[in-house]
Formats: sequence, structure tokens, C-alpha cells
Amino acid sequence: MRWLPALLSIVALPLGSFAAKSSSSASRFQTFHTQAVSSSPLKLSDSTYKKLTSAPRDYAVAVLLTALDAKYGCQLCTAFQPEWEVLSKSWTKGDKKGESRLILSTLDFAEGRDTFMSLGLQTAPVLFLFQPTTGPHAVPNPDPLRFDFANGPPSAEQVHDWLARHLPDRPHPAVYRPVNYVRWAVSTVSVLGVLGVVFKLSPYILPIIQNRNVWAGLSLIGILLFTSGHMYNQIRKVPYVSGDGRGGISYFAAGFQSQYGLETQIIAFIYGVLSFATISLAMKAPRTKDNNVQQIMVIAWGIVLTVMYSFLLSVFRGKNGGYPFKLPPFIVNSISIPNSI
Amino acid sequence: MAVAEGARLTPVELLVSLGRNPTTKTLLKIIILVLIATAAVASRLFSVIRFESIIHEFDPWFNFRATKYLVANGFYQFWDWFDDRTWHPLGRVTGGTLYPGLMVTSGVIYHLLRFLTVPVDIRNICVLLAPAFSGLTAYAAYLLTNEMTTSSSAGLLAAAFMGITPGYISRSVAGSYDNEAIAIFLLVFTFYLWIKALKLGSVLWGALCALFYGYMVASWGGYAFITCLVPLHAFVLVCMGRFSLRLYVAYTTWYALGTLASMQIPFVGFLPVRTSEHMPALGIFGFLQLVAFLEYVRSAVPSRQFQTFLYIGLGGIFGAGLLGLVGLTAGGYIAPWSGRFYSLWDTGYAKIHIPIIASVSEHQPTAWPAFFFDLNMLIWLFPAGVYMCFQKLEDEHVFIIVYALFGSYFAGVMVRLMLTLTPVVCVAAAIAASQLLDTYLQYKSPEVVDNKEEESTDGTSKKSSKQSTLRSASQPVVGIYTVLSKAFIAGAMTVFLLIFVQHCTWVTSNAYSSPSVVLASRMPDGSQHIIDDYREAYQWLRQNTKEDAKIMSWWDYGYQIGGMADRPTLVDNNTWNNTHIATVGKAMSSREEVAYPIMRQHEVDYVLVVFGGLLGYSGDDINKFLWMVRIAEGIWPDEVKERDFFTPRGEYKVDADASETMKNSLMYKMSYHNYASLFPPGQAQDRVRGARLPDQSPVLNSLEEAYTSENWIIRIYKVKDLDNVGRDHAAAASFERGHKKKKAIKKRGPRVLRVE
Repeated sequence: MRWLPALLSIVALPLGSFAAKSSSSASRFQTFHTQAVSSSPLKLSDSTYKKLTSAPRDYAVAVLLTALDAKYGCQLCTAFQPEWEVLSKSWTKGDKKGESRLILSTLDFAEGRDTFMSLGLQTAPVLFLFQPTTGPHAVPNPDPLRFDFANGPPSAEQVHDWLARHLPDRPHPAVYRPVNYVRWAVSTVSVLGVLGVVFKLSPYILPIIQNRNVWAGLSLIGILLFTSGHMYNQIRKVPYVSGDGRGGISYFAAGFQSQYGLETQIIAFIYGVLSFATISLAMKAPRTKDNNVQQIMVIAWGIVLTVMYSFLLSVFRGKNGGYPFKLPPFIVNSISIPNSI
Repeated sequence: MAVAEGARLTPVELLVSLGRNPTTKTLLKIIILVLIATAAVASRLFSVIRFESIIHEFDPWFNFRATKYLVANGFYQFWDWFDDRTWHPLGRVTGGTLYPGLMVTSGVIYHLLRFLTVPVDIRNICVLLAPAFSGLTAYAAYLLTNEMTTSSSAGLLAAAFMGITPGYISRSVAGSYDNEAIAIFLLVFTFYLWIKALKLGSVLWGALCALFYGYMVASWGGYAFITCLVPLHAFVLVCMGRFSLRLYVAYTTWYALGTLASMQIPFVGFLPVRTSEHMPALGIFGFLQLVAFLEYVRSAVPSRQFQTFLYIGLGGIFGAGLLGLVGLTAGGYIAPWSGRFYSLWDTGYAKIHIPIIASVSEHQPTAWPAFFFDLNMLIWLFPAGVYMCFQKLEDEHVFIIVYALFGSYFAGVMVRLMLTLTPVVCVAAAIAASQLLDTYLQYKSPEVVDNKEEESTDGTSKKSSKQSTLRSASQPVVGIYTVLSKAFIAGAMTVFLLIFVQHCTWVTSNAYSSPSVVLASRMPDGSQHIIDDYREAYQWLRQNTKEDAKIMSWWDYGYQIGGMADRPTLVDNNTWNNTHIATVGKAMSSREEVAYPIMRQHEVDYVLVVFGGLLGYSGDDINKFLWMVRIAEGIWPDEVKERDFFTPRGEYKVDADASETMKNSLMYKMSYHNYASLFPPGQAQDRVRGARLPDQSPVLNSLEEAYTSENWIIRIYKVKDLDNVGRDHAAAASFERGHKKKKAIKKRGPRVLRVE
């Protein structure tokens, strides 16, 4: 019966991971590494996770515990996933022979619910680095190292540095970002296309480009955006609005140093109305010939100006508690801003 | 006094319209400008009146110290100054790493006054330099605005706005002896000269512009703002098809002379031809040569050949330029973007790569309340004024528009750059406000009413003839008919202006007039109580320590220790050496066993920490501690980890739940050493962080408390010497505690520095 073992081995091939169970740590690494070369990062399940990280091992394992499914709504997970793939692909590609003895793998919550439970993880993503317990690079402390995701989604290079720091004396294949040829092609074609269209339509576009009103409008929009704190939103990534804890929406953030996205839009709108009222009063009204129209126009814009400015002052009083100045009609502090953030 | 300023503006209009006589007008203008300057100076004196004539905050202390050195040792000594009392043991080539404009200005004023036999103390010159220059800034704003519009009220309004707007006061109150004190005047005046040079196409004005640009470079690192804005203006003008020989003459004169002038400053040196922030100026210089050449060729050859020439010539030059730029950058001749500047564009950059920049609150982005706080009603008059600039759209108006966009972007990215936005806001807002007031105050006097009614029916009034060339003049200006309209708008504007003045006074008085060296608080009965812990502690250092005792503290206090206590420091606010700062951060955030060798290696004698827990003073070291950790982690990621300073639930705590790393860190121990003994058992609490502290205070083995100021804001510790029987400090301390013996460790015999 010579064919029996051969047959068995063929049957066992897809179940190679099971076959590796009883084998030594070196062969286990070999199995997983072969898999990783074909598809990196390695997708794990509860059982393969246990196997990969089981105790005597002479290789290192980096596991990203993540929750990519849309129903968990983990933004950080989805934001980090492409970076993680770039890192693991370039690491595995640069280290086909497995000299760094590191396996990069991913365990999604959908497949690894038990692992998440057993580790007591409440949040995702978590990146563990299991150091080797035997062999030349063994470390005394078997507990895995945990990457700090405190500062938003890290880039592949940052994680690479972190890994490299903890895996000294081993090769660290550099992060290689594949060139996205499709994107290049698309952008080149579209740029050329736009240029062509512009060139063709230049008799129509040129008057728009040379139109002062367009430029004036663009400049004003730019100025209003910047002076209403848009750059702060960009840099700090503030929420658009937030709840007030009683089921309602709070439009204005408490405190002088914070703001919401919607809040800055309201402020930009107020500034815009005030500026427009000023422009109308200073430039349009004196050019109106009709006496009555002018009278109505001046009074209307004047009322808009005073009411809006009064509102602006009252909003500012809400942000800055001790601010003493007010104008009618918004004398009372009508905007309540919760004190707790 | 400042209140009177805003209220007077309307009568001013009246008087000007009454006084048709040019001499009266000039006299009135001079009087008004002098009064504005007085108001500008007066509104900056809150801190002198409330406290005393004292230098504020941090950087001014260094400038003050440098000025004293300059006055005492002369200019050439100052130029070659190597300071071995900072950055111990490295030292600092101070003369070559500072902007000398400020110190030299004060020095010149000092010697001038001495020459005129006015006995004056250099400190008073330093304290009052910023207010004095704010008066000049108001005048420069007046000149600049007058170049933009023919309405003389706009200039006066701009001067008044510039004089009292908090956005500028924030950096120029009495005692705020910093580079910005004179730099804003230079900024506005350089812009005025640039506009003048551009309008006249004059080499003389261009050279004057370059001269003041050179002065600006000597005074403030923010000169890069001019270096970028003027080329941008020139570029926009060329793009609009407004290239002229005036532009060519003005720009090339300014660039050639200005660059030469700026290279005379050792700190700047060859940067103008190397770093990227100076590249636009150089690029536009070349570009203008090219455009001028093309203009010349076009006038000389037929148009057909010119087109071929244009394509080949332009393409070739552009390609060569690009290749050259890439080659020089790759070869390392041109530095890449410097971090501080780069962080302006890619706003996430600083957060990730340069914690020392991210840690400075001035480098944070600006939330909208800050704009309103600093500019009040000007913030919405500003867009209106910019819009009005689009009406005439001459070369100088393009400047205002470009400046407005550029300035508001940078002010949005960095709080500190609000300062560079303020001048253009004042100018634009003054243009808008003056147009509004000019329109609605037209008929104040009956004599003018008759005049205007006749003229407006003709449609040939002086105003409408002036505006007939405007784009949006689809209808001629007819003026305002009813008194009601005029009264309503004029009244509203008057109220707004009055509130503006009140606002400025209130903001200046409340937010910008604290010296931060001396704190003020209110007693229950309403009287003022001065908290003077900083000076108390620095004075203690000055009187009780050796002349060359090295003080280790976080870098924020380096300049103050150097200025007030006159003791060498390890790190200071000139953050030129990040590694050295990280070393201090590591010592502060490590266990005593790790920190002690670091302190020995740096010959530290005393350690100074700022602790606000007793008083509720929130700007203390525990609140800054995470930045120390982050900066140290940047250099030693394996030894210092930010994560370890948080509780397992990710909170930053100082009470009994604090993480072990936190509790064992030197900073924590120094801050809370013996603190619990102030309170009855179980009552100890930290009033800044609202935390209840354990009764057992942290134990310090290798340091001993040397001095704690009245309100515990400053705590100074002496670094113990090596144990004289060779034990480590923990063993020695526990031995002593075990025997309840208070035995001073005597310094005796030869000692050997233990190596780690």
C-alpha cells in the first residue's frame, strides 16, 4: 500500500495547517511563511491564530486584530487596512526566504470572535507583536507588544519603524508602495482632457476667468473660510455636530478653543451676511435712484446688519463666558452651550 | 482714553469737511495721528500700571539679557558673543543665532538718550519699546491705506484700528519685549514702501524698501512673510497681464538689494539662496527677467517669428530651470523645507514628526473665536473692504487682495500668524468703514447738503466722477436721500465703533496684559493679590546658589532662569538642540535610578519644577509633562513610552490610580513631594486636575528639597552628591529612615563618578 501515504498527503495538503499542529516551531513557520508569500497579510481564524502564536516559537508574529465589517463602524480599522497591506506585502516580498522570521497576519473580528473575547479586547484595531520565545532572538517576556494607535491611523512607514525597532539584528525590508499605474493613466488622461476642453472652450471660459466678479467671489469665499476656522477643522478633524446629552443637537462647542464643523459654517455665514450688508449699504444703496426703494433698502440692510451683529455677539458670549458686550435684540444669552464636552 | 478715540471719528469727519483749507486739514490730520499714537501707547500700559515696569513672559527675558550684554560690551562683542551659561555643557553661539534688530534698536535709543543727557534705565527702554513702536505702526498703516484710496478718512481709520486692535496689542503690550515689537512696524512700512516703489517705478523707493526689508530680516524670522508675499504679488500682476517697467524696476531693485542686506545677518547668511522659503523670490526674479526680455524681443521682431521664439525659448528655459532645481535639491545644495515652514502646508506633518513644534501653543491652528477676539468687528468689515478693492483693481489693490488671502490662510493654520494678518485686516476694514461713513455722513452740514443735492441731480459730483471708471458703476452714484437712512446707518456704525473700542480695551486689559511672571488674583474682598512666586524663587536661586550652579528645568523656563536668576541652564526657549531637550525630558520622565546618572553627567546642581496644584495654576509642569514624554520618546522610543503614563483605561491621572511609570517618574515625585503633609489626612488634593491624592507622598532618594515658593508654584530640588560610603541613594535613604537619624551627608574625600 505505497499509495496510501501519498494519497493522505494529498488530502492533507489543503489542511496543511492542521498537519503543522504537531510539528516543530520551525516547520510551522515554514508553512505559514509559504502561505504568507502567496497572500500577505495572512488571514487568520481563531484556530490558526492559536496555532501561529502558540508558545515555543522561534519566529515573530505581528497580528492586526481588526473589525473591517461595515456594521462595526470602525473607521480607524478601514483607514489603516490599506497601509497594513502595503506594509505586509512589501515586507513579505522583500523577505521571500523568511530571514526576518516575521509573519504579518490579520485577524478579523468576524472570524476571530473567540480570540477577541479571550484577550478581553474592547476596541479595534489592535496590533500585537509576538516576539520569539526560543532561538537566537528570544526575549524573556512572552507577552506580546502592543502598538499605540493613539494618534490616528499610522502610515506603513511608522509601523515599519516600530517593527524594525523591536526586531533588531534582522533584515527589515523597506516599505515599497506599488505605483498605481491606473491612477496615473487616469489622471494624465483627465488632465489632458480638461486642458483640451479648456482650449476648445476658451472663447467662452476666458470671459469668466477674466471676470472680476468671479474672482471677487472666490476671494471672499476663501477669506470667509479661513477666518471662520476652517483650517482648524481640517487639522483637528473636529466632529460636524455633537449631541447635547439630552437627545438634541448642540451646534456650538463649549469653550474658547474648540468648535464644530457646522459651527464654523454658521459663523462663516454670519460674517458673509454682515459683509454683504456692508457692501450693499456702501455701494449699492447710494447708486439707487428711486427714493423709496433706497429708503427701504437702507433700512432693511441696516436691520440685517444690527440683528446679525447682535447675534454674533451673543454667540461669542456663549463661547467666552465673561464677555460683557451685547447689542439688542439678542440681549439674553439665547444660545446655551453645555459646559461639559 | 481709547474710548474717546472711536467717538471722535465722526466729529473728525465733520471737521475735515468743514475745514476746506488744506493747512487746516493737514494740521487736523497731524493732531489726529498724534492722538491715535497716544491712544495706542496708552492702551498698552495696563500691565505697567497694574504691576510694575517689568519684562513679560519667556522670550523677552532673553532679549532683555542680550540687550544688557550689548549695552555693556558694545556691538562687536555682542556680534561675537558665545554664551556658555546656556545649553550647558554645549553653550550657544548667541551672536550668530539671533535676530539682532531688536537689541540694536534699544541700544541705539539708549545711547541716543544718554547722549541727550536723559538718564534712563535700559530696562525701561526695553519695557516701553513695543508701545512706542505701535504708534509708528499706526502711522505706517495710515500711509499704506492712503496709497489704496483717495479718501483720507480711510487712512485715519486704519491708523486707529491698527493702534488698538487686540490682534496686534497681544504682541506689543509694555514689557512684551519681543522681536514682534518692532517687526510689525517694519512689516507694514516695508509694504508701504513696496507699494510706493511699484506705483512710481522708482529705484529710490525700491532701495528704501530693500533697506527696511533688511532691517526686518535683522529683527524677526517672520521676514519670510515679506519674502513670499512680494514675489506672489509680482507674479499675480504678471499673470493678469500687468507687467510693466515699473514692476520690473521696483522688484529687481528690492530683490537685489534686499537679498544682499539680508545676507549680512549671520543667522540668515546664505539661506536666501538655499532654502525653499526664499525660492519664490529668486524664481520670480528670474521670471521677471524673462518676461522683460520677451517684451523687448516682441517689440523688436515680427509677431510670427516671435511666437516660435516664445515657444522654444519658454519651453527650454522652463525645462532647464526645473532640471536645475531638482538637481540642486538632490545634490543637497538646496535644503528641503524646514520643518516649521513645512508644517504650514502639510498640517499633519508637525504632529507626527516634530513634537517640539507641536508642543508650542503658538503653533496650533486657530479656532474662530480667536479671530473674533482679536479683531472684533473688523473681521466682517475685512471681506467687504477686500471686495471694494476689486472695484478699482489697480496694482496696489491686487496687493491687498493677495495679502488678504495669503494672510488669512496662514492665520488659520497658526495662531501666532494672526499678527501678520492684522495689518491687512485693519487696512481693508478701514477702506470699507470709510466708504460707508463717507456715504452716510455726507449731509451732516446743511451747507454740504445743498451742494450735494445739486451735484447729485447733475450726476457730476466729485464722488461720482471719481467712480465713473469703476466696473460696477452701472449706475452713477446719487447719494443718500433721507436723513432717516443716514441717521440710522451712521448711528449703527457709531455704536459698532464704540463697542469695538470697548472690546479692544476689555481684551487688552483682561487677556493680554498679564506679565505671566507675576500673577494676579482677587481676594474675597475684591482687592488685588499679587502672586510673585516666580521672582521669589529666581531671587532665591540668585542669592543662595553658587554663581555657576547648573539648573535643570523644562525649556520653557530657561530664559527666565538666565534672565532673572542669572544661573546656567541646560535647555532654554531657543530650542536649537532637540536631543538636549529630549535628554531633559528623559530625566524628568524616568525613574530616579535612570535620571540620576543623566543629571550627574550634565553636572546638574538644582532641578526646578513648576507646580500649580496648590493654587490651581494650570500652566504647570504636570500639564506639560506629556510633551516632555513625547519629545523624549522621539529620541529614546524604547526607554520612554507615552502609553505607560496613562492608566490602563487610557486616562492621564495623578491620583492613586496613576500608572506606576507615572508615579515613579522624577517629575511626579518632585511635584508632589511632601504635598500631602499640607493637608489633614485624606484631604490632599490637586486643585488643577481636581484629583484627590494619596496620603503617602512620593519618596525622593537622590534629590532633596531645597526651596519651595510661597504658593508652591516653584519647587527647587538639590541633586544629592554621591554617598560617601558608596551606597546608592535608595539604600542610604532607607538606612537613614530606618534609624530615624537626621544626618547630613558631608562632602568629603575624593569622589568618583559612577558610570552606568
